[in-house]
Amino acid sequence: MTSKIAAPYRGPAESIDQSQPNMVSSRTEQSLLFALPKGRLAQDSLSFLAKAGLSIPTDTESRKLILPAADGSTGFVMAKPRDVPTYVEHGAADLGICGLDVVRETDRAVYEPLLLPFGHCRLSVAGPADEAAGPPGKSSNSDDLAVKPASSFNLPGTPLRYMSQPRIATEYPRLTRQFFADRGVNAEIITLGGSVELGPILGLADLIVDVVQTGTTLRMNGLVEIRTILESQAVLVVNRASYQLKAAEINRIIERMRLLTT
Amino acid sequence: MNGHVPFGVADYFWDEASSRQSLLDQLMETFRGWGYGDVIPPMFEFDSTLSAQYDDRLRSGMYRFLDRDGSTLSLRPEFTTSVARLVGARLHDWPMPQRFCYGGSVFRYLEPQAGRQREFWQVGGELIGAPSPAADAEILALTATALKAAGLKEFRQIVGHIRYYRCLLEALALNPQQTQQLQWALERKSEPLLDDFLRDTPLRTGQRQAVETLPQLIGGNVDGILSLAERHIQNRGMHEALQNLRRIVDALLGYDILDSLIIDLTEIRNLGYYTGVSFEAITPGLGTAVASGGRYDDLVGRFGPSQPAVGVALGVDRLLVARQRQDEADAANGRRRPQAALALSHGSPDALAQVQKLRQAGLHIQVDVNNWTVDSAIAYAAETDVRDVLVWEDGFQHHRRDDQGDYVLLGQLEESRLSGWTAACREELPT
Repeated sequence: MTSKIAAPYRGPAESIDQSQPNMVSSRTEQSLLFALPKGRLAQDSLSFLAKAGLSIPTDTESRKLILPAADGSTGFVMAKPRDVPTYVEHGAADLGICGLDVVRETDRAVYEPLLLPFGHCRLSVAGPADEAAGPPGKSSNSDDLAVKPASSFNLPGTPLRYMSQPRIATEYPRLTRQFFADRGVNAEIITLGGSVELGPILGLADLIVDVVQTGTTLRMNGLVEIRTILESQAVLVVNRASYQLKAAEINRIIERMRLLTT
Repeated sequence: MNGHVPFGVADYFWDEASSRQSLLDQLMETFRGWGYGDVIPPMFEFDSTLSAQYDDRLRSGMYRFLDRDGSTLSLRPEFTTSVARLVGARLHDWPMPQRFCYGGSVFRYLEPQAGRQREFWQVGGELIGAPSPAADAEILALTATALKAAGLKEFRQIVGHIRYYRCLLEALALNPQQTQQLQWALERKSEPLLDDFLRDTPLRTGQRQAVETLPQLIGGNVDGILSLAERHIQNRGMHEALQNLRRIVDALLGYDILDSLIIDLTEIRNLGYYTGVSFEAITPGLGTAVASGGRYDDLVGRFGPSQPAVGVALGVDRLLVARQRQDEADAANGRRRPQAALALSHGSPDALAQVQKLRQAGLHIQVDVNNWTVDSAIAYAAETDVRDVLVWEDGFQHHRRDDQGDYVLLGQLEESRLSGWTAACREELPT
């Protein structure tokens, strides 16, 4: 009865930081939050918004994560391009601009009311140029092709379905898989974070799937385009709830942009 | 044993668990208040029962496994089909209409997102055996009431009518590829894709105008949209769909929810089994719907005599996220609810008898089973956020934590003092 039991045991405490980034309170100042892609499309997006008569942030070099527009009406987040559809799907941002390639690859549930007149490029399959053109050193008649390993079978015009197990380096695994699956090819996909042109050079992959603008990068790395998967350009994406809840403001923005797209 | 749990499921405990549970109770209570009776369907059923009416998206997201006799079973991805089976197969001769409500886990093999794990909670209700617009209106109004009961201040219900779209497709007589193209454009609300469709598809002038008008059939101006849609009907079915929608809106007059209504005749991403009105409830800060429902007149008939039916399901997890985001401005600090008082009996039967009496009076009390000293008990109480410590000395002595966090002796226990704290344990968090 009197035996004293040790004070209650408590497991090693982890200090839990309950504070989460308080998105809502920082958003209440602006009625709309716009997610813009860093990098390639950043400058084009901003000048397009300015041309459409929307107020844009004055200081885009700032390290602040959320930039207010000059007139305070709208907030802007500069996000990694891949993250723009994610922000918008979850309602962390009401609208966003990013490439159609990214929207299709990430496959998020967002509305995409308008294509915007910049950021044109194409998502293409490319392979080593010497295979395609026929290397000068090697004879490349049709008999020769027939005995080549299937994985190097990438002459322009040759159906991709002839390839048995191509290895493909890409930043776009979803679209790549879908493109090859539609042709009955079960491609082996190697997902990389960038510089996919290195894939064939280092022998990591037979082909690549990547965004092509002018083709200079491909040429410099001895690659040629074999197929186009998707013609891409910038697209406006809108959160599904915001589209209805903030219909007036969002429609105003769409109207202004539409004037520049048609 | 590494203590991991599979991807897509989660432990909920402490305040998170109790606020989930009480939200579920609260929503169920709302349904009961409208005459909906509880139903508890099984957690898994024959795959053929559950998956027959779904579209590919939902079918591919079902958890399937084999029973020992080789039949394929599925974890329920929602409740509606099970309730339809129950009524169709067993309760078909009970007087109609029948109202049922339910709450619990459902399972979908999808990428987890905000407010949706692979196991998530739904609460919902089904009104079976009533074809009238009044029944559709009841479900819409009940949904609004439940969302308010859940503490949501701002939400909209987006109402469409799947029949309008299906009959339009009928009138256009498209091939599957063209249908896909139109569906893509509408699902994404993409003007360029719709333009592509119009460019690629040969249509008569009236049909073309009907498609061109679709993007305008969205908004809060219910009358205006229905009138505009009426001008572009292609067949009787489209006309009937619009008339039905108008009657539902009329039937909502008494419920005072028309302000939260948005008509969207292009909203077509929905479960495969809807046949009439369909709707989703949305709220700021959450990209996905917190509730969705609609009319499904063909589902009960798969399991017995055909019955018209309409219902709704609310996502408890998403409601919690939505409410949390909404309330973040109100700084939720200090909203942890008080824990049950800790009673030290020192082995006295009288003490336990007294505790039982207090519990019967509705107070929440945990009894020390470690034979702690007062100091140990207070140390435990301080760490676990227990505010009241009762120590038996021929009657309970009441220690209460003060604002500085020190436990001070208030003297002999007075029940009224305790009830203020523990009664709050049973209440939902202050709204």
